[in-house]
Amino acid sequence: MIDRREAPVATVVTGAAGWLGRALVHRLLADGRTRLRVLVHTDDERSLVPQGDDISVEVGDVGDRRVVDRLFAGAGAGTDVIHTAGVIHPKRVSDFFHTNTGGTRHVTAAATAAGVRRLVHVSSNSPFGTNPQPTDLFRQDEPYHPYYGYGRSKMEAEQVVFAAVERDGLDAAVVRPPWFYGPFQPPRQTTFFRMVRAGRFPVIAGGTQRRSMVYVGNLVDGILAAELVPAAGGKGWWVADERPYEVNEIVETVGRALRDEGFSVKEGALRLPGIASRVAELGDRVIQRAGLYQQQLHVLGEMDKTIACDISASRDVLGYEPAIALYEGMRLSIRWCKEQGLEL
Amino acid sequence: MSSPTDSGVVAHEAHLRADVVVVGSGAGGATTAAILAEAGFDVVIVEEGPWVDQDEVTPFSLDQMDRQYRSGGVTVALGLPSIAYTEGRCAGGGTEVNSGLYFRPPLDVVEQWCRQFHIDGLDIDELDSIADEVEAAINVTLVPGKATPASEILRRGAAALNWRHSEIPRWMRYPAGGDAVTGKRQSMTRTYLPRAFAAGARMVVDARVDKLVTLGSAMSVELTYGNGTDRVPGGAIHCRYVFVCGGAIQTPALLQRSGFRHNVGRSLAVHPTVKLTARFADEVNVPDDVPVHQVKEFAPDLSFGGSASHSGLVALALSDEWRTYSHAIESWRRMSIYYAAITSQGRGWVQAIPGVRDPLVTYRLTRRDRELLRSGLGRLALLMLEAGATEVYPAFRGAPIVRNRSDLATMQARFAATKASVMTVHLCSTVPLGDNASRCGADSFGQVYGTDRVWVNDASLLPTAPGVNPQATVMAFAIRNARHFVATHERASARPSVATAPTTGATPTTPTTPTTPIVPMTGATGAATSTALEGPS
Repeated sequence: MIDRREAPVATVVTGAAGWLGRALVHRLLADGRTRLRVLVHTDDERSLVPQGDDISVEVGDVGDRRVVDRLFAGAGAGTDVIHTAGVIHPKRVSDFFHTNTGGTRHVTAAATAAGVRRLVHVSSNSPFGTNPQPTDLFRQDEPYHPYYGYGRSKMEAEQVVFAAVERDGLDAAVVRPPWFYGPFQPPRQTTFFRMVRAGRFPVIAGGTQRRSMVYVGNLVDGILAAELVPAAGGKGWWVADERPYEVNEIVETVGRALRDEGFSVKEGALRLPGIASRVAELGDRVIQRAGLYQQQLHVLGEMDKTIACDISASRDVLGYEPAIALYEGMRLSIRWCKEQGLEL
Repeated sequence: MSSPTDSGVVAHEAHLRADVVVVGSGAGGATTAAILAEAGFDVVIVEEGPWVDQDEVTPFSLDQMDRQYRSGGVTVALGLPSIAYTEGRCAGGGTEVNSGLYFRPPLDVVEQWCRQFHIDGLDIDELDSIADEVEAAINVTLVPGKATPASEILRRGAAALNWRHSEIPRWMRYPAGGDAVTGKRQSMTRTYLPRAFAAGARMVVDARVDKLVTLGSAMSVELTYGNGTDRVPGGAIHCRYVFVCGGAIQTPALLQRSGFRHNVGRSLAVHPTVKLTARFADEVNVPDDVPVHQVKEFAPDLSFGGSASHSGLVALALSDEWRTYSHAIESWRRMSIYYAAITSQGRGWVQAIPGVRDPLVTYRLTRRDRELLRSGLGRLALLMLEAGATEVYPAFRGAPIVRNRSDLATMQARFAATKASVMTVHLCSTVPLGDNASRCGADSFGQVYGTDRVWVNDASLLPTAPGVNPQATVMAFAIRNARHFVATHERASARPSVATAPTTGATPTTPTTPTTPIVPMTGATGAATSTALEGPS
């Protein structure tokens, strides 16, 4: 059993109305944490955060230093910070840098100034690009090779955090989740289920490329381990399901999960040649160079790639164990959608 | 320690006779010659390069490249990018000049070959026990004492990253109390060639085989003597059987010149490599040795190791981006060269061209290969930073000097395989063996399809590039195939000696007309020569 610290006196959470943020806040409250101080972007998002004495909400843009300073009021050596705020599908490329890099800069500076116990920064696979071939796995330590604007902004965010560790002695750990799924999902994920149901999910070049994915509950487990295990500091940690899945397996498993939850699913997938992804990637590159961002192009451009990571260091050092795998996680995700009255 | 011996080397003569001619004296040829001679066959080995005693040259030096490599070490497979490759061209072939690192034949790969290429009668246990025999014959051992500083860098960097790595044993003999750089390589000129000589084999050096001519039930091996620049009149060796062991480029070229073309030279496989030079605070350069540590975390698809790094090679490795890098050469003593090698899904061709001495070699990398080279160079540069490098100089045009992790992103963004100095030393698979005749150029024991006189017994036979240094695999297959030949072929009744001149009374081959039909010693008529087997004229 790997030793963990006690829960902190107070916990700051950014991005609390996001997919991961909501799952995290629910868990923290369920675990009995008190003195949660959370940041949401807009007043409308207040409703996405549970109300109560144990939680106080700050509203504003994480890319605004004044907002972040307000968020950190009263934080100190008994405070842990979990920084999940980020933007993945914005309108403009500059939003990546404003929110992901700028936001992390402010959070890191505020955490350093407050002398917090630990900062957990939620990064991504994107600073490392794509694997050179389907059987390759990213190891714990890899050279940066960012994938377009999002990847660059998340790489720079990691560098901000590691620089503060080196220079200022900040205690920080970086968690790197790949593609995640599970409850609290945003509307774009219902599109994913609908495409699978209609037999129209795009499978490129045979579908043998592999993807690491992470059930959002597993991700919360990993984040809490990175927060509470002393040895996590100063390093980046992959938090994903036990193994990567082939794209074919993902489509098949999601289809099966939908069927077993009572949905009709049309057999098949939209099988496209590799060139489709390459054309989309080219379009994505051109559009991002112009400072713009188009979600469908970006996602399709990435579809022929393998993005897979090796979680063994997280298992060995953090004691992270992925409890849920794809089929079960997808069923939980579908059930959550049904409970929310979302149409799949 | 036994001293090297060239006692079997005989003078250039217009005519020789033998049971078996072995073309080439490297890992495949020397072992073949020893097994056959020890079984009583009368063997003549023909080597295109010179006999160079190990003590005459500094290991990994420019002088060595000049004397013991083909074309001074500068040969290129055309493609985008073109891939530079090197071939040993001397008695002992590649074993005289390579890194001397030993990898047992990877049995999982061999099993895969058996399935895909239908290698009939391949007994994995037999191959494994031959590997034991080879290890004893060439004295596989770890270096005594500490590894060199350049080798220690690989170990240290890999340990910091928690990447799998190990010291690779070498086939060397070390004097008592000697350290890492005092070893003598147990190359073919010190092991299997003296064994072959002791069993009566003869060897002709500085002799290039132009063509094999089938004369009914005999063969004529047509030669040009000389060291390549001033060629002198050649000769011919009459024999019953020929083993072609010239390496994966020369073997298919000779077969093609001799009219054998079925799946010959169509499936060249290599391990492409990219390089970088790393600078450290201390003097880490070891001019006359290569590192013994390798990083196998991503094996077999991606491996890291160290290269020969004398000052000339450091300059060469910096030359891709000389404008930015040139200042660094002054501190070459603090620098060492490292490589990232990949298994490739690409394939190459070897094509003999009439009237041209060297064959045309082409190689095409796939998209996945290029990605793997990019990723490999990035990971290797990361390892160097972790090992304490102050600067890393990746070998491709437009590369940045890498000093920190941010520079790694810049480096990978700028990388393109077409801008890199891609090179290879492991050339394989141009005459793959197996009973799958649609893919193979020789049967399961190396006999070339379409003839019962000619065998291949070198790296050309390996159906794919095995993912590790292939020398031991080449040797194990060569010994297996040679033993099979011995078990299935009769020796000639009387063993001819060097003094035995051709007695058929036939008009000797004149050096200026090497394709003149030769009256075979068996008495079959010249008309028996199949036109299909005539090379291009």
